Amino acid sequence: MRRFLQRHVSQIALSPSLALIAIFLYGFIAYTAAVSTTNSKAFPRFDNFVGLEQYWRLFHTPRWHVAFTNMFLFGGLFLLVTISLGLVIAILIDQRIRAESFFRSIVMYPMAMSFVVTGIIWQWLLNPTLGIEVMVHQLGFTSFRLDWLTNPDTVIWALVVAAFWQGCGLVMALFLAGLRGIDEDIWKAAAVDGIPAWRVYVFIVIPMLAPVFLTVVVLLSLSIVRAFDLVVALTNGGPGVSSDLPSVFMFDMAFRRTNLGLSAASAVVMLCTVLAILIPYLYAETRERA
Amino acid sequence: MIDIRISNCNKNYGSLRVLKDINLEIERGEFIVLLGPSGCGKSTLLHIVAGLDRLSSGAIEIGGRDVTDVEPKDRDIAMVFQSYALYPTMSVRSNMEFGLRMRGKPMAEIRPLVEEKARMLHIDHLLDRRPSQLSGGQRQRVAIGRALVRDPKVFLFDEPLSNLDAKLRASMRTEIKKLHQSLGTTAIYVTHDQLEAMTLATRMVVMKAGEIQQVGKPEEVYHRPVNLFVADFLGNPGMNFMKGHLRVDGNRVSADVGAATIPLDGYAFETAPANGQAVVVGLRPESIQPVTGSEAFVLTLKPTLIEHTGSDNLVVLAMGGEEIVGKFPTDMLPKLGEPVTVGFDLGRLSVFDAQTERRI
Ligand SMILES: Nc1ncnc2c1ncn2[C@@H]1O[C@H](COP(=O)(O)OP(=O)(O)OP(=O)(O)O)[C@@H](O)[C@H]1O
Ligand SMILES: [Mg+2]
Repeated sequence: MRRFLQRHVSQIALSPSLALIAIFLYGFIAYTAAVSTTNSKAFPRFDNFVGLEQYWRLFHTPRWHVAFTNMFLFGGLFLLVTISLGLVIAILIDQRIRAESFFRSIVMYPMAMSFVVTGIIWQWLLNPTLGIEVMVHQLGFTSFRLDWLTNPDTVIWALVVAAFWQGCGLVMALFLAGLRGIDEDIWKAAAVDGIPAWRVYVFIVIPMLAPVFLTVVVLLSLSIVRAFDLVVALTNGGPGVSSDLPSVFMFDMAFRRTNLGLSAASAVVMLCTVLAILIPYLYAETRERA
Repeated sequence: MIDIRISNCNKNYGSLRVLKDINLEIERGEFIVLLGPSGCGKSTLLHIVAGLDRLSSGAIEIGGRDVTDVEPKDRDIAMVFQSYALYPTMSVRSNMEFGLRMRGKPMAEIRPLVEEKARMLHIDHLLDRRPSQLSGGQRQRVAIGRALVRDPKVFLFDEPLSNLDAKLRASMRTEIKKLHQSLGTTAIYVTHDQLEAMTLATRMVVMKAGEIQQVGKPEEVYHRPVNLFVADFLGNPGMNFMKGHLRVDGNRVSADVGAATIPLDGYAFETAPANGQAVVVGLRPESIQPVTGSEAFVLTLKPTLIEHTGSDNLVVLAMGGEEIVGKFPTDMLPKLGEPVTVGFDLGRLSVFDAQTERRI
């Protein structure tokens, strides 16, 4: 008995949380998948099996297409802008500048805010009758227009800018930690070798940050798929449905349009998207360990 | 011909004076070893020669050219670091090529050069590997190779062997020595390993707290230390020190160290001895040995401890209230507590003034 306990104590200690995860995570994933095969309306019902019909309907709903495309558009732009500017800011801060902690705090502060607050701040800033546009007009540039929030073609940029503003701090901090972790002697060796600083960054330092890039991409990708509160606070999906994201679509179908089956189908599609991002990452991670 | 001239060099970090008025002239082809306790400013001095640190005042000349305000890359130097500082995302070959490529040397010249140096260092079979796939010793070879291909006027080494295990360190030491003998390039080498300093240096520089204590050939620094610090810093086990007073009687001089009176007739004084002067007499353990018959000065002392170190045996002997250490061959070991007659090699004595701590 004692030997049994000794050998299995860690499994026994972990088993309650494993059980909870099994029920509340995988259990409800399975439940959602099951709901997506029914014709449930306001409440889940399992007496009305419809097979993959909800998926067929989902992919024939124009609004879903807008939301799904937006996710990749918003996601791509957000990744590009946040990673490149975050890296540039980290490199600038890494130049042993004066008042470093001051600048670092400025970049990091938005991180402390919830997406709802960020959304509202940018809604005000981008509002043509309240924010930046009015300010620039008062400076005398009356032809200046900033109509991102009201123009369906550019509203996605409003999301990108607000999300960047919030996410940049984390990305900068991760890159800065990576940069600070690089051996000082590498820089000295490069100086003696006569390699200009930008080349050291491009050919030596940035390749050394590859693991940080991977982490950043995964973290940001997950926040893209989850993005919900930002959209609700900033644009509420509008104008029209032009800034819809899958998460907003799912919420809307489940709780406003009483179409639980369709909502569950969209949730399953989102899960598959997340897995498509995560699995290669986990694969790369475990292979590195081995 | 002077290759490196360091004149009145000072380095301050705020109010901390890290280097104090350093002056050093290095001839072409010398292998200079900077030796000193941790934090004495060896790396700082090396970085200043490399141009990686600015000096607060003073001047550096390399090859007759004032390089005080010249960038590291234009000083015609190459450096090897303690952490190797290889570029981890590049192959060994690229690591060795990169500096030359940056200088605009054509690839057709770089290739054979890199391969030749790689063969010389026995790393030619590793050229396509990444630094992370190499052992410590192999990495250090690559770091040396990267410096070699540049064919610089001066090599700078900052504790290149201190991350290696003792055995590898010894063999790399020999290789660096051979390399220097065949290339004849001027080198400055920082270490806090005495053995490395003694075996590699053509001249060594002993530093303490930002000041040069002594510059000289290794034997000279070892046998004729200029002050108590150098005497104490070098040698393992350390030099024996006996406190006492000088007795000057006409032209006969001796040191009264309490338990004995040591004659100093053969000692080459650098400053005139004064009667009653407080002194410290130093003698290394290997100069205190069991008598064989011909010694000029012998004492009978009681051994209190015997340590076997493999090749030698250290015998601790009670002398008055103090203890001194002698090195005895294994077949002449005394018995503990039984008095033994030991001979002092008076030709190896060092006498220091007790106040100034300088050699007299
Ligand atoms: N950037 C710096 N700012 C302030 N003080 C410094 C700086 N770099 C070095 N020092 C100080 O200068 C002194 C000399 O440092 P240095 O690195 O030259 O020592 P070292 O002789 O190489 O020691 P070690 O054998 O431990 O490498 C030390 O007291 C160190 O604390
Ligand atoms: Mg050092």
